[in-house]
Amino acid sequence: MDLYFWVFASMSVLAGLFTVAAKDALPSAMGLLTVFIALASLYLHLHAPLIAIFQVAIYAGAILILVVFVIMLLMTPGERMGVIQANASYRGLGVLLGLCLIGLIAVGTKGVSDIVSMKAPPEGFGNPSIFGDLFFSNFLLHFEVVSVLLLVALIGGIYLCKKRL
Amino acid sequence: MATLTHYIVLSSILFGLGTIGFLTRRNALILFMCIELMLNAVNLMLVAFSNFMGDMAGQVMVFFIFAVAAAEVAVGLAILIALFRHVREVDITRFNVLKW
Repeated sequence: MDLYFWVFASMSVLAGLFTVAAKDALPSAMGLLTVFIALASLYLHLHAPLIAIFQVAIYAGAILILVVFVIMLLMTPGERMGVIQANASYRGLGVLLGLCLIGLIAVGTKGVSDIVSMKAPPEGFGNPSIFGDLFFSNFLLHFEVVSVLLLVALIGGIYLCKKRL
Repeated sequence: MATLTHYIVLSSILFGLGTIGFLTRRNALILFMCIELMLNAVNLMLVAFSNFMGDMAGQVMVFFIFAVAAAEVAVGLAILIALFRHVREVDITRFNVLKW
């Protein structure tokens, strides 16, 4: 049980490091793919099978493919695109801010175990039919708003791809 | 047994990595991928809390984040391609038309 978490957690952190540090955009995308797969495995561990399926289908299947298409569209062969920020103060500030964020959240978790009891989730937790019931009752308005958002994004995407903007 | 704290630390490490990448890289495509990394860290946190509190609402929230991420990537990449037509470059330091 524990080994499962450690394997996929270390896999996601290493792949995340690779995503951030890779020289080219395409290897970076492959690192991100590994992060998605590792997180999908962790979702399975957390009783969220539907979210794991969506993670693979939407993130790894749709979003990442779109990114890879754009990388291939914009990259001319042999070109190195992975340039690190030339301004050293930006670079230092970025690393400092990121590390501060990690430290801050890690310190903040000290009190969490008091708030949340570690009881096992209730019977049938994570069942897709319960997810669907909740989705189309409590969150119906949110669902409609998200559908409008997707429609607007669709129209925006088509408009931005016009020949003369 | 992995506790909630494990998941929170993992999620914060992933979010921090995304932040570091976003602030230090210059390639616009890698910046997009760093944003995706941060969104995924938040998703992991939501699913972990949902599991340990026994409330399915967290998983529904993750679904909405999926939708927003899809919209963000579609529009963002369309903007990037439109920019690329003018500048012929994905280096964000070259996108300085609006810079004061």
